[in-house]
Amino acid sequence: MAEDEVKQELIVSKQVISVPQRFATGPVMGYFLQELRDNARIMANRCPECGRHQVPPREVCAVCRLEADQWDEVGPEGVIRHYDIVYYASPDPLTGETREVPYVLAWIKLDGTSGDAYFWHMLKENDPSKIRKGLRVRAVFNENRVGAPSDIRHFEIIEAQESGGEQ
Amino acid sequence: MSAREEHAFVVEGKMALPYQYFAGTVGSTFLVALRDEQKILGIRCDTCNKVFIPPRATCERCFSDLTDKWVELPGTGIVTGFTVVRYEEPYQPKKPPFVLALIRLDGADTPFVHLLESGDPAELQIGLKVKAVFAEKRIGSLLDISHFAPVP
Repeated sequence: MAEDEVKQELIVSKQVISVPQRFATGPVMGYFLQELRDNARIMANRCPECGRHQVPPREVCAVCRLEADQWDEVGPEGVIRHYDIVYYASPDPLTGETREVPYVLAWIKLDGTSGDAYFWHMLKENDPSKIRKGLRVRAVFNENRVGAPSDIRHFEIIEAQESGGEQ
Repeated sequence: MSAREEHAFVVEGKMALPYQYFAGTVGSTFLVALRDEQKILGIRCDTCNKVFIPPRATCERCFSDLTDKWVELPGTGIVTGFTVVRYEEPYQPKKPPFVLALIRLDGADTPFVHLLESGDPAELQIGLKVKAVFAEKRIGSLLDISHFAPVP
């Protein structure tokens, strides 16, 4: 029947709906974001009971359920704990533009944190095959900071690894 | 923890939701007729003796295939229900207040939703006779009908 089919124009409607939103930081996340913005410092809060850090911070220690009101500066260097290489070209929610792939997301154990506080962020590395667990990385801050997690542009791998020997 | 409140602030943001709507063969025939000929097409089920708009490929009552049962409808009809939208959202087709009405075109058995511009919404009544006003610039969308307006 294919030769009998009439060629028809098929309509596809493409749109980008933009939904504005407002995020109220509260005092704890607000302090974290203020320090990122004003001083380019990564602050973790610490539980007075068990001593574990949380970064980004939470009001309450997730284990002890106590108000975690002690602050420590951590990073800006750390170690890759694990990572994802993302090949799916999802849209950036802020712009609707499709992200370039592959990009790398890493869970980073920042220097000075105790417990299981892993900080999640973008890792800049053009060759994903170079990335491995245990590499040292450093936060790169934007010049113009607005008080958002993206004030850290990304983490980058610190060169001159002496361990070597990896394949 | 003195002056904790000093640390709280509000982050303005936005979320973009890209999407694609595929009108399909039946929907595309309907939209192309709106765009190129300013014609409103319904689709008839001969078994049920009903005319549906917007058109669909399958009768919702008897599941007959309706793919080629096109009927041209006039641009006139009556309001069978309406609501006044008073809140503002960025995705809406126009600034509130505006009226969304269920309009049953003459010759159709189902109403469909469209914008109605009739002056003061407080004076709006079910049963009002209306007609379609086409947009100057038509792109193959339901808004190629700009709105419906009362028949004087």
